[in-house]
Amino acid sequence: MDTLTPETQAVAVRPKVFHVRSLTKVYGMGEAEVHALAGVDLDFYAGELAVLLGPSGSGKTTLLNNLGGLDVPTAGELRYRDFDLTCAPEAELTRYRRDSVGFIFQFYNLIPSLTARENVALITEIARDPMPPEEALDMVNLGARLDHFPAQLSGGEQQRVAIARAIAKRPEVLLCDEPTGALDVRTGIVVLEAIERVNRELGTLTIVITHNAVMAGMADRVIHFSDGRVHHQLRNATRAPASSLNW
Amino acid sequence: MLPNLDRKLLRDLNRMKGQVVAVALVMACGLAMLVMARSLIYSLESTRQEYYEAHRFAEVFAHLKRAPNALATQLAEVPGVATAQAGIAVQVTLDLGGLDEPASGQVRSLPDFGLPELNRLFLRTGSWLAPGSRGEVLVSEAFAEANQLHPGDQLALLLNGRRKEFRIAGIVLSPEIIFEARPGASLPDNRTYGTFWMPYKEIATAFDLYGAFNYLTCTLAPRAQLRSVIAELDRLLEPYGGRGAYGRADHPSHIRVSDEIRILQTLSIGFPLVFLSVAAFMTNAVLSRLLTLQREQIAILKAFGFANRQIVLHYLKFAFVMVVGGAAIGTVGGVALGHQLVKMYHLFFRFPNLHFRFDRSAMVLALGVGVGAALLGVFSAVRRAAKLPPAEAMRPEPPANFRPALIERTGIGHLFSHSFRIAVRNLERRPMQALFTVAGLALATGILIVPNCFRDSVSELLGFQWDVVQRQDMNLGLVEPASLQVRDLLQQLPGVIAVEPFRGAAARIRFGHRSRQIGIQGMPADTQHSRVVDAKYREIVLPPEGLVISAKLAEVLAAKIGDELTVEFLEGHRPLRVVPLMGVSEDLTGIAAHMELRALNRLLGDGDVMNGASLTIDMAHRREFLHALKQIPRVSWVGIKESLRENFRKTTAASINLIQSIYLMFAIVVAFGVVYNNARISLAERARELATLRVIGFSEREVGAVLITELTILALIALPLGLLLGTGFAKGIVSAVNTETVRLPVIFTLHNYAFATLVVAVASTISALLVLRRLKELNLVSALKAPE
Repeated sequence: MDTLTPETQAVAVRPKVFHVRSLTKVYGMGEAEVHALAGVDLDFYAGELAVLLGPSGSGKTTLLNNLGGLDVPTAGELRYRDFDLTCAPEAELTRYRRDSVGFIFQFYNLIPSLTARENVALITEIARDPMPPEEALDMVNLGARLDHFPAQLSGGEQQRVAIARAIAKRPEVLLCDEPTGALDVRTGIVVLEAIERVNRELGTLTIVITHNAVMAGMADRVIHFSDGRVHHQLRNATRAPASSLNW
Repeated sequence: MLPNLDRKLLRDLNRMKGQVVAVALVMACGLAMLVMARSLIYSLESTRQEYYEAHRFAEVFAHLKRAPNALATQLAEVPGVATAQAGIAVQVTLDLGGLDEPASGQVRSLPDFGLPELNRLFLRTGSWLAPGSRGEVLVSEAFAEANQLHPGDQLALLLNGRRKEFRIAGIVLSPEIIFEARPGASLPDNRTYGTFWMPYKEIATAFDLYGAFNYLTCTLAPRAQLRSVIAELDRLLEPYGGRGAYGRADHPSHIRVSDEIRILQTLSIGFPLVFLSVAAFMTNAVLSRLLTLQREQIAILKAFGFANRQIVLHYLKFAFVMVVGGAAIGTVGGVALGHQLVKMYHLFFRFPNLHFRFDRSAMVLALGVGVGAALLGVFSAVRRAAKLPPAEAMRPEPPANFRPALIERTGIGHLFSHSFRIAVRNLERRPMQALFTVAGLALATGILIVPNCFRDSVSELLGFQWDVVQRQDMNLGLVEPASLQVRDLLQQLPGVIAVEPFRGAAARIRFGHRSRQIGIQGMPADTQHSRVVDAKYREIVLPPEGLVISAKLAEVLAAKIGDELTVEFLEGHRPLRVVPLMGVSEDLTGIAAHMELRALNRLLGDGDVMNGASLTIDMAHRREFLHALKQIPRVSWVGIKESLRENFRKTTAASINLIQSIYLMFAIVVAFGVVYNNARISLAERARELATLRVIGFSEREVGAVLITELTILALIALPLGLLLGTGFAKGIVSAVNTETVRLPVIFTLHNYAFATLVVAVASTISALLVLRRLKELNLVSALKAPE
């Protein structure tokens, strides 16, 4: 691994997706004030796979929520391409999430009353340029379990449905918050393989939050957080395949 | 110092206050109904009982033509008779200055000296008759109020055709006329009918009855057989023109109060039962939700050594807060409604003092029933939580099991949208929750049907009575039967268009061992006024011989067309005749027997006579006509259709409106509460799911649609069910009014159904919108975190 300056030539040729400058997020007031983000400067580029590492409370999730349009920052600049996320109205944030962002959560968050196929189709119905739900599920190797309900699927399978749901709309950005946090190693790796494949084949900017330092190996770039700031960043010369990881 | 566990209780209650209030209110509706109905029963029953006892209301009553006072002593000795009181009761015509139409009434005698033994009066204002006085009269309160008469005012009565002025000494009440109406009339008209009391000597002299009596009342000795006393009295009175003795059960005023009590008894059981089952379920739903949320807390409490018992108690307290709240609101509400209804009773019933009497046992019962309902609602949920081993409880609940809904398995699943699928699968997974929401909404719809059906049925009855049957504008009665020439006399009065004579004759009709006492109405075969119609409202032409009786009388007698009925006339020479039953007619009030006028006169052997007439008049000459009529002393009473209608609008219609607004309020509370509760629970249980939908790009409207779809499906199932349920309720309640006095046709109108549907739909929509506003507060970030 090489230590990087923020703008590396190899990446700089790719179009910039997110532009983050002096971003702060303060929760609470007065004595209870918590600086979840205390001035973050970062850029993310198309097709990149970035891993955010850091202890609990270091600000990773807050950043992800701000990037995904779920939360608005207290101060600083935050742009998705030309779209200013700091002051967009709710309706535009909804459209942004619908068209451009795919989310993957630690606890899958599938709709329990819909089958795997229907969970994906839910999104493809409202998206601009979706792929067929079956194709999305094929990408995560779940072509055979289309009509199963979440309760009939294992944790790893549920997470792969969640990935299929997130990518079926062909998002520009895939945001993953601890995608393997609730899974054992073997299933965790299957899930990571799916994420890796999406990133490679669809060229989706993929940002993954994890506690698990091992996952840093599969990233283009590893960003370390502490105390609401970027502590340091590393760039991998080559990405290790997800299947080679072990923890 | 509040134990910390109770502090937690208070905070939980505060957090769920919307639902707690909703449950308490629904419970309160049921309990209010219970408290109101039981208290009113208690008020009416106890007030009536005390009134009867204090004023010595008789138990047997008999009218006769005339018997010497000496007979009274003999009658008092009939086995089973405790006290017998002989007196005079006569029909009189009144001359009221302020009234266009002739008014009539009944005059009863009071002993010249001392108190009557039975049926003592209650003096509301003024004074009693001075001993040995003349020219003084006591007046019934309902009549005095309707005509604004006060002690000291003058009143002109036509006694046996002679006009005489009386001074009103006092305004009184009698246990005999708690409900006062002209005999045979189902609606009161207190303006044109009243009861008056004067000393025996004065009234007896005026009617040539001095030394005699024509009205007997008795009380019974303990363990006396009413039936044998009546039989013996009838036997003894027969030679004196006895018209058949009867007991309290046939006393018109007594019947009306008893009917009201019976209706209240139905209300006090049926409605609270349904309301409380819905409330019980709502309690269960709220508690289950709370327990699911607090699985971990329960586990921790148990891990730290709290016993199951303490935990169960903790959550039961939660339910009891709702019960106590519900019982308190219900009691206050029931008492308030009861006060309103008691005021309404003043329109119909005259008691010395009818006050709302709170039935304390009703509150205890209400509390008991409420606790029972809550226990029923909570018990299974709490027990499930308490039984959970702590370690297991600390893990989140496993994901819910779903499967394609029944309706999708029919093969049309591909037609449904995702939000529809989410909705139907959720409903199928929680059938009980869906069922009770449906039950609650159906109940709300159903209870709205009842008062409107009642109103429509009463209006159908009146339409039948006043438009189909009675084509005349007024009826009048003569003091004595008179020659048919009176008809020509009446025809010449100003404004008269048509006159039809009739004759009413008191008789007892017998078939087999069944019999009824009734006035047989004789009229022209082709009568155009009081028409006789069949069940399809087609006119029946009266045959030259034989009887046509109303369907209810035929049912009571178990007689059919062609049967030979025995008719025992109770007036004139009291002939006994066998008469064939020639037809059955439709009649909704009272029981009736009709005959062709000449045929009736032939049976009675009286020649061509009449004792009343029906008239149509030119309304432009109404005043002149009534004025002329007042000058004819032979006319004893007049019934004007328009006055009856007007009076009806003021009394019965007003009380139906009051009851309707009560039901309306209950329905709104239930619809609102049930929908609110259901939506809040869905929202809470599925906050994560809904937040996820928002995160992955659904707008607030689209997420709201998922919740609304579910409620809409429930409402669409509930509304028709509610209309059915209401139809059932209304049929039960309205057709329970099927007595010999009145039979309500059960009428359902589109307007009725539309109104109920609309009210419930609007209440549900507003309630749902209130909950949907909370979608804005949905925390999107929390969806990314671990489940609570």
